[in-house]
Amino acid sequence: MTMTNNTKLDIRNLNAWFYEKPALKNVNVKIPDKMVTAVIGPSGCGKSTFVRCINRMHELVPGAKVSGKVLLDGVDVYGGMDVMDVRRKIGMVFQKPNPFPNMSVADNVVAGLKLVGTHSKKELAELAEERLKSVGLWDEVKDELKKSGASLSGGQQQRLCIARALAMNPEVILMDEPTSALDPASTAKLEELVKKLKNEISVIIITHNVSQAARVSDYTAFFYLGELVEFDETRNIFEHPKNPLTERYITGRFG
Amino acid sequence: MAIISRRGKERLIKYICFLATAVAVIPLLWIIGEVVVNGVSAINLEFLTSLPAPFGESGGGIGNAILGTMIINAMACLFGIPVGILTGMYLSEYDRISRLGAVVRTVVESLSGVPSIIFGIFAYSLIVLTIRHYTAIAAAFALGLMMIPLIAKATEESMRVVSNDIGEAATALGIPKWIRTTKIVLSIAKGGVLTGCLLAFARISGETAPLLFTSLFSFFWPTGIDQPMASLQVLIYNYAMSGFENWILKAWGASLLLVIIVVSINVLVRHLTKPKYKAGV
Amino acid sequence: MFVILFHMLIDRSIPSFSANGLNSITGTVWDPEKGLFGALPAIAGTMISALIATLIAIPISLGMAIYFTEYSPQRIRSVLSLFIDMLAAIPSVIYGIWGLWVISPLLKTYIQQPIVGSIGFIPIFAGPAYGLSIFLASMILAIMVVPIISSLSIELLSSTPSSLREGLISLGATKWETVRHVGIPFARLGIFAAIILGLGRALGETMAVTMVIGNSYIWPFHSPSMFAPATTITSKIASELYEATSMLHISSLMELALILLVVTILINSVSRVIINRISKRGYF
Repeated sequence: MTMTNNTKLDIRNLNAWFYEKPALKNVNVKIPDKMVTAVIGPSGCGKSTFVRCINRMHELVPGAKVSGKVLLDGVDVYGGMDVMDVRRKIGMVFQKPNPFPNMSVADNVVAGLKLVGTHSKKELAELAEERLKSVGLWDEVKDELKKSGASLSGGQQQRLCIARALAMNPEVILMDEPTSALDPASTAKLEELVKKLKNEISVIIITHNVSQAARVSDYTAFFYLGELVEFDETRNIFEHPKNPLTERYITGRFG
Repeated sequence: MAIISRRGKERLIKYICFLATAVAVIPLLWIIGEVVVNGVSAINLEFLTSLPAPFGESGGGIGNAILGTMIINAMACLFGIPVGILTGMYLSEYDRISRLGAVVRTVVESLSGVPSIIFGIFAYSLIVLTIRHYTAIAAAFALGLMMIPLIAKATEESMRVVSNDIGEAATALGIPKWIRTTKIVLSIAKGGVLTGCLLAFARISGETAPLLFTSLFSFFWPTGIDQPMASLQVLIYNYAMSGFENWILKAWGASLLLVIIVVSINVLVRHLTKPKYKAGV
Repeated sequence: MFVILFHMLIDRSIPSFSANGLNSITGTVWDPEKGLFGALPAIAGTMISALIATLIAIPISLGMAIYFTEYSPQRIRSVLSLFIDMLAAIPSVIYGIWGLWVISPLLKTYIQQPIVGSIGFIPIFAGPAYGLSIFLASMILAIMVVPIISSLSIELLSSTPSSLREGLISLGATKWETVRHVGIPFARLGIFAAIILGLGRALGETMAVTMVIGNSYIWPFHSPSMFAPATTITSKIASELYEATSMLHISSLMELALILLVVTILINSVSRVIINRISKRGYF
């Protein structure tokens, strides 16, 4: 159901397979712009696959197949755009923080930009600083910019990865259970960051923690066995879910 | 836009890499093709079973070389396989205790990097010079030595893997170490050991240098293992370099035989380790 | 068993120490009848042919490794993998016979003669264009070294942590960029080791080289042309040991073998030390 906001991602008849096994069945959803959308559901329900179909990472897996349309501002990600462009516009943060250990903190942030190659060293340094500030990492690492990206703590690494993804100025950012490997303090910091981000870009966040979804998101999508069961404003999902499956999951009766 | 040139670069690199692959694969196909084409015409029953004809005459065969290769390889296995397996067993089961194990491992590693001709020279100076004539035993010795590092490594690796999981269970049951090593671990690691032996066998089948001054060559049926003996590899070398049409043809035929042996062993080994390959790629 | 190795080393030194002093390493004339055994051209032959072969093999192997891991379709991979194994398995005599009777005439007519004809005034390319030459030997050696480097490189590249690959791809990197910035830095050490291994193989290769190099002392001191026939340590030993006339002759050949062994072991140990040193520093 569309709300009064704009739609950023219009997903139509999305199906995905691993070899012959279906992983996503006929998913139709409109992800709103500049909002945080949570994706929840029990393990193996297709949340990760769904999100990876959006930035075309699913197709990298051997035996993967996709059909359907994913329209970013009206342009199909699967046909109307160069795949590198897709990934530039739709950034991703992973469950386990993966900063590049062979690069310094500063280089990590601008790693994606360096590939494009159009910035001078000075510009890159400034951009790095700006991004680190926006994720709240600047003060903590400003004296350690030259150290390896892997030398930071878990929570810092994850924020570094977010900064790295944001440096590309994406329009959407996908987060695959970004706090599941972090301690509670870092988790809280990250959730604050997520809420701040929606002012700039659309956020889709996968989480297996239902209360996290309730805390940070505006909209929630509930998946079960590869199908999108319900999608609505978070408030509605948690206060009066329409589907009995949704209710059972949220109240912890399974998953 | 920057992305276009990145795209272009990507495509360029893709083609370059494909080209590199082609450059590597083409010689392979070419060699096999030549061997098959040139060698097929030489092979017939006479070729396989009779002795070489006198100089300059046509006809004749390489029966003695075939037999010789079989004998020499068999002897090499007799020496190399047990020693190799024992060394491998030692390394995987007992070496964690002693410093000697580290030394042994270094030695085995270095042995595998040594050029084949050196093994030949070693056998030569040890045996041939001592007993003052060329003998097939020396050849088998050299080849056996070459097999040792390959087999030892394969044995150690496959036993180590098994040893960790199942070996612990066996120890926990109170089974004495030597029984655990031989009966249990070895029988499970059999597969890895077998492939190691097969590969080592294929390797030495193709080695010629060590034979050049140990078993030398002979135009007659093998008379005794303490005498020079004909072999496929040396035959190919001698005949090919000779310049005689007939002999060159025979050399191609022998090459075909050799290629068939070596390739079949490799294919067999692949077949046996198929699951491992799927995972690796 | 291991005693054998030490025995090996000692055994060899005894006979060869009756060689004629330092001259045997630096001398350039090898004449068994006169009792002169200068080995420099052979040593040079070994070094240069191995070096050139390895240098040629590196880009080819890496290109193939990258193609295999990044660009090739799944179905081709198993076939390609088989091919690489077969390249490595083909006995060196067969490379030799192929080089001798198939490649050498072709090379002579289509490559060497034209080059000699056009830029033959440059000493390296000078004629006459013999069929058997150090050029041919280096080429064949290169083909033999390729499977070693590429099979190891493929394994190494395939084992780059996928989380890092995904990280770079999610930023919009191309496959080449991923290999370049993540794959290769991680595999650097192993690739270096593989190259050394390949070099070792090239240094020690006997049969294929013996059959195509021409076995002559013309190169490099009488003619520096790469189309001139030459000799390597291994080919000299292979072709002369059987007919060696005097004890002196034999022990000179032994000395050559000793040199080869020392060089091989030296290169292997040095590379092992370097690898250990670097891998202690951390990631790669």
